[in-house]
Amino acid sequence: MPKIRKVLVANRGEIAIRVMRTCKELGIATVAVYSEADRSALHVRTADQAIFVGPPPSRESYLVQQRILDAAKQAGADAIHPGYGFLSENASFVRACDAAGLTFIGPPASAMDSMGEKTRARANMIKAGVPVVPGTTEPVASVEEARAYVEKIGLPVMLKAAGGGGGKGMRKVERMEDFESSWRSAKSAALNAFGNDAVYIEKYLEKPHHVEIQVFADQYGNTIHLNERECSAQRRHQKVVEETPSPILSPELRAKMGEVAVKAAKAVNYVGAGTVEFLVDVHRNFYFLEMNTRLQVEHPVTEWVTGLDLVAMQIRAAEGEKLGLTEAPRPNGHSIEVRVYAEDPSRNFMPSPGKITYLRVPGGPNVRDDSGVFPGYTVPNVYDPMISKLSVWAPTRREAIARTQRALSEYVVKGITTNIRYLRAILANPEFIEGDYDTSFLTRQHDALLGAEDPKLSEMALLASVVHTYQKDQKRLKTLPAATGGQGNGGVSPWKLALRTRR
Amino acid sequence: MRYFAKQQGQKEAAPVDLEPLGNDQYKITVNGTTYQVDALELEHGTLSMLVDGESYNVEFEENGDELGVLLRGQVNRIDVADERRLRLRAANAAFSVEGKQLVTAPMPGKVVKVLVKVGDEVKEGQGLVVVEAMKMENELKSPKAGKVTELFAKEGTAVENNAKLVVVE
Repeated sequence: MPKIRKVLVANRGEIAIRVMRTCKELGIATVAVYSEADRSALHVRTADQAIFVGPPPSRESYLVQQRILDAAKQAGADAIHPGYGFLSENASFVRACDAAGLTFIGPPASAMDSMGEKTRARANMIKAGVPVVPGTTEPVASVEEARAYVEKIGLPVMLKAAGGGGGKGMRKVERMEDFESSWRSAKSAALNAFGNDAVYIEKYLEKPHHVEIQVFADQYGNTIHLNERECSAQRRHQKVVEETPSPILSPELRAKMGEVAVKAAKAVNYVGAGTVEFLVDVHRNFYFLEMNTRLQVEHPVTEWVTGLDLVAMQIRAAEGEKLGLTEAPRPNGHSIEVRVYAEDPSRNFMPSPGKITYLRVPGGPNVRDDSGVFPGYTVPNVYDPMISKLSVWAPTRREAIARTQRALSEYVVKGITTNIRYLRAILANPEFIEGDYDTSFLTRQHDALLGAEDPKLSEMALLASVVHTYQKDQKRLKTLPAATGGQGNGGVSPWKLALRTRR
Repeated sequence: MRYFAKQQGQKEAAPVDLEPLGNDQYKITVNGTTYQVDALELEHGTLSMLVDGESYNVEFEENGDELGVLLRGQVNRIDVADERRLRLRAANAAFSVEGKQLVTAPMPGKVVKVLVKVGDEVKEGQGLVVVEAMKMENELKSPKAGKVTELFAKEGTAVENNAKLVVVE
């Protein structure tokens, strides 16, 4: 397969820039696509070329396959990197790229098909001998059938959208009397979010950990795993903090889960970077949850402890190069990533789009900030609120926590509200520091994390706010024209001043 | 000079007395405690504050009447008014949860649902309007029990930050 010369990155924000950075280092030209809301975005300036693809809503721009393909053709790109989200797990888009003679930097459409719909993925995994969470392998046709099944496996259960992802449309049922209403609401949520109301049932595991394994495969069937990521710090099923190694994994369990993840990837003839997500229960049994057939948001932590560039590996695999590694590199040190969101945790995590008036990004040894924002940039209100990923490396977990805290203390974003204080509260939480936190951690600690205010600092903030208001009032008075009775001349009216000069 | 400051989540504003002593020095009394404060304003509006030998680097961000105060990684949202402004704003119902309450858009976005009509009786915490921003739907709740007397929000329209949405009396 010929070498890739020009890559169109079919995405925006930090991930578009992340991909372009590696392309530049490999001597590959880059093409950005942008919507009306993104003309001033950093990815447009980072690329060698940039092509307009439509109005702000992503379904009218970034998600329109033909526009992306036309942009690639117009720019003379020979490959497309989809980043994550948008078209990254869309098998029909991969087929369209193939038909247009463009290299899709990612897995083949067939692997996406096998893993895309969750019930099909479960069936495939059961066939391959991968342990899955007890539940139905097919969407359940009727509420009666669903109820009968739940009576068999017992409560609590999760109702999940078959075409879903990102935690949308999921309902937990704890009491039989709530079953019917939860069923109806899960179906309508699934229809709204994914245009498909198919729902399946899974046994709800108590206090599970979300641990995922990064896998990587070349086109010749060589498949390895690159260790795990602990992603149990989640809010509304969205990850907030990720780390590797997982504080709950022994080397034996890592090896076992890695082996199963490789088996899962091989079962669908996977190529490129993928992630096999597992739930690990209190007895350290693990169950397949789903496979993400793309680069993950949290890939930097794996890069920190393995020393690999996953985007470069994706490009080489797409070019048909053989995988140089034969086994998982031993994790070196510890890495933590936190997601900085434009949102206000103190107001129920309300989004906070707007202009960034001041920005100071952390630096120092072993600190990495993957971001798409800059001072003066207006965070649009049409895309998701993640503005940056701050990740660090340190020799041990304790040092990595301290380094993340230090880096967050340097982070200043003005003009919009961010979750930085909330992230600091998570890292200071005894349960997190102890390392045994499950997927209910953020919900359980909600009040403690939001109330983590130092009363002395609150008092100091009050003093500062009053001084600030006083100083602002003084400035305003000074700039008022003297004739209006202002204090432009020390509060003296022009009449009195005229009189004084005469004296 | 007397100010009234209300921390986010508090219903009552606390009186704060500030006496400028010149040369960036202030005497400030709050909740019965008096502090000697050295507060030097630097470029970009940053405040370097020294209180009892402790150093605080303070950054501010303004959002309408509310001030975001960032120090040592902690953000406090504080509403500060002097007596004159307090009287003006009490009339506009922005400072206390008594009387007429104006609910505004907390961020730019799109009104996707209006849950009330003029004349509706609402409870404290009842949803009034749903505004979508950054792919998230946010339900704005009534700050008090009362009657919807004015309704500016229209479904499907884009709204700016601080746009008037609903008045509850």
